[in-house]
Amino acid sequence: MSGAKYEATATHLSAGRVALGRWLFRAATVLLLAVIAIQALKTAAVTSVGFPDWLPVLYAYVVWGVALGASQVLKYGEAGQQTAFILPAFLFTAAMVIFPTLFGLGIAFTDWNLNGDAHHNFNGLNNLRTLWADAYFWNALGNMGFYVATVAVQYAIAFGLALLLNADIRGRKFFRVAFLLPFMLSPVAISWMFGKSMMENRFGPVANFFRFVGWENPAFFSSPYIARTSIAVMDSWQWIPFLIIMLLAGLQALPHDVKEAAKVDGATEWQTFWGVTFPLMLPVSVTAIVLRVIFELKLADIVINVTSGGPGGATDTISSFVFREYRDRSNVGYATMIAEVYLVLIIIFVTLLLRVVSRYMQRMT
Amino acid sequence: MRVQVYEHLMAISRRRFLGGAATAAATGALGLSPSFAADSVVAEIMKIPGAGNGSPTDADWQKVGELCLGPTKQNVQPGEFKGVQFSFMGLNNQNLHNFLFRGFLKPWEAYTGASIKWIDLAQADYNARLQQTIASGTVDYDIIEMGAPFEGDMGVKDLLSEMPDWVKKQVDFDDIVDYLKPPVGTWNGKIHRVTIDSDCHTMNIRTDVFGDADLAKQWDGVADKAGLAKWGAPKTWQQVQAVTKFLKGKKVRGKEVYGFLDQPKGWGGFEFYFLMSRASAYAKYPGEKNWLFDENFKPLVNKPAFVRAIQDVVDALPYEPADQINADPGTTAFQQFLTGTGSLLEWWGDIGTTAKTSDTATIGDVLAFDILPGSDDVYNWRTDKWEKLASGPNVAPNMAYLGWGIYVMKSVDGDAKRHKAAWSAAAHLGGKDLSMWTSAYPSGFQPYRKSHTNLDLWALAGYDKKYIGSYMDSQSTSYNHPNNSIEPRIPGIFQYYSIAEDELAKTYAGKQSAQQGADNVAAAWEKLTDKLGRDNQVKYYRIAMGL
Repeated sequence: MSGAKYEATATHLSAGRVALGRWLFRAATVLLLAVIAIQALKTAAVTSVGFPDWLPVLYAYVVWGVALGASQVLKYGEAGQQTAFILPAFLFTAAMVIFPTLFGLGIAFTDWNLNGDAHHNFNGLNNLRTLWADAYFWNALGNMGFYVATVAVQYAIAFGLALLLNADIRGRKFFRVAFLLPFMLSPVAISWMFGKSMMENRFGPVANFFRFVGWENPAFFSSPYIARTSIAVMDSWQWIPFLIIMLLAGLQALPHDVKEAAKVDGATEWQTFWGVTFPLMLPVSVTAIVLRVIFELKLADIVINVTSGGPGGATDTISSFVFREYRDRSNVGYATMIAEVYLVLIIIFVTLLLRVVSRYMQRMT
Repeated sequence: MRVQVYEHLMAISRRRFLGGAATAAATGALGLSPSFAADSVVAEIMKIPGAGNGSPTDADWQKVGELCLGPTKQNVQPGEFKGVQFSFMGLNNQNLHNFLFRGFLKPWEAYTGASIKWIDLAQADYNARLQQTIASGTVDYDIIEMGAPFEGDMGVKDLLSEMPDWVKKQVDFDDIVDYLKPPVGTWNGKIHRVTIDSDCHTMNIRTDVFGDADLAKQWDGVADKAGLAKWGAPKTWQQVQAVTKFLKGKKVRGKEVYGFLDQPKGWGGFEFYFLMSRASAYAKYPGEKNWLFDENFKPLVNKPAFVRAIQDVVDALPYEPADQINADPGTTAFQQFLTGTGSLLEWWGDIGTTAKTSDTATIGDVLAFDILPGSDDVYNWRTDKWEKLASGPNVAPNMAYLGWGIYVMKSVDGDAKRHKAAWSAAAHLGGKDLSMWTSAYPSGFQPYRKSHTNLDLWALAGYDKKYIGSYMDSQSTSYNHPNNSIEPRIPGIFQYYSIAEDELAKTYAGKQSAQQGADNVAAAWEKLTDKLGRDNQVKYYRIAMGL
């Protein structure tokens, strides 16, 4: 049986059972469509009959999902049971990911502003044109380039620390736990601990330290470059442990015999690292970096809490810009367009990144 | 004794008050209030928890709420609202607002039988949550703590319940200071708001800095004093600039001091109030209601008055603490000024009460207050000229935000029991005695009644009369100033403020000139007005400003 494809056993299904399955599905579908139609007509003010909100549509969707699963079992027997196993995951994804994305896309092409007197109207490509000419968007996107570039530095630091934690050093277990602590903190807590306390200009210990070493008036969020770097440092402090975990797992899984062979051949520590360890770690490294880049592209909390994107937009990110546009200005249509465009940009960027890395790895190995 | 105090206060002029014991000025400005009986409820609650007993706790709030139930008991029978449940949406800033309301209303719930479900919001999330519920028709609260600027948002959708006459009587509506009376709190002529707060920016002043003899000597040698001949608190914005530049690098009792503290970092739209306060003396021409927009709702923000105010901030920032560009209003008040950094701060009245009653404030003994500074000249936007008034510097205190109020939603109107219950809860929070306590202790609310000028009551809470006299004088002079600056209560006003914050941030960071920044704000506001519907916005602006 090993390796053989499992196939459902063909069983005889009565015509009545199949018909019941078919009618069950049809009835549930009619119910779902009817509830949607009633509520849509009420919302569009075509009729006055309807529900107070859209919650009944959700209930009808759940009923429809159950009926769909049951009808599969009734109509197709064991094969239907197989389908019924994956249906909940599929229906959940459709409701929680696919539908909101498509719904959001619809909103992105409207002029919806919560303070507007009129309801939201389709406004064609207006939001895209606004975005194209929006200096705040391009400024934030430029900042994202900087933040993503810092992942390389984070990776280098994390690799070094992972090597240390993989070595036979004293207190190794303690350091492994200690290095993980920042990752357990929320970005909001880090914002207050570092940005608003330790880096506070008057009494923060970090500020005092820099004063001690000769920086007369240390200010970490006043000039654009220093502010951006300060945000990157706080963000890195939190996320480097994530990279360490990934890389440490990779290092521990490396075959010892290859490294021992290199040692027998007389390779130095550096040659062993650069010629053996690093290439063997490439698959893990790529996974860790790509995941970290994706997380980095969502950077928002620390920026919102510490600088609100300032000074003068120097630390702004796309997410913090969307946050302001939506939360402070109730600009639903335009903010959604920014988010959708950013999603597309991320998909394109990550796809290209993976392709480039894949070619690089092929060359290395 | 009380009558004697009353008569004594009557006899002292405001000017004399400021010069010596600044005790009775407020009373003179607001209208005199009778004293109180020693065994009155208000006298009893003012001692809870009392001076030197730390910040009030939930037990104190409940006790105050319990003692203030008298007016409720006159209008509501015990258990009359049994089975009624409603939602209350409010703020949780600094663990105040809703935290206090819970305590105040707990005895009210026990007495009436009603129960309340609480929705707590951070200040920064407030506007978004409010707008979402209004726009999506998902108002899930029956009572809301709301600022007057949002009355337009609610009013145009007809979401608010009208205040019944018995509530008006219960809260002693006439006792509220005049500028908070209609049209504030109304929409289309209907009263909707139980006032629980007043808002204006005043100047908070460090007396140790402006009374320092060494600084006075050094000041004598300064060439450009902007008219401040003798060292002391500045009276005009021109003097504020001069003083701020002068204080850079100076020390008082060995500690570095700074002058004025600006708030350059955005705060969900609220930072713009601070620029408005810096600009009002330049922009608000006496006798002219329009100062932020003209009567056709065209922005005046890029006219010379506001541009000068923006430039003032740009010019002052290098003389302020090193990270000042990253300071929002909350930072300047609670992390800087109250803990000893800076000697001049424009803020709401919370500073005065928090300085005396908070465990973390360090400047309670060296604090005085004044109305916002004036300006040697004022810009007349109709003639496009700066003018020097014959009466002297132009003063135009900014009534920033117009105070918090309690509003009942129209959704309760269909059920007489719920309607009475909701309004009874609102009236309890807006009660006269309770309001005296919230004015004196950390609550997030400022004095808003004529009766709040009774300095003897403040003394019961541990305030010395000189201190609180100065405080109340700054408040009441602002409330009653004939040229005070009122903001437009129109739908979406915070979008206008928020957009301005982004452009101002760029200007303060040196990315564009003050004029360019102001032009960008004006252009963005025009675009927003078109988006929200120009005709309606113009109409609402005129309603809100009483034009």
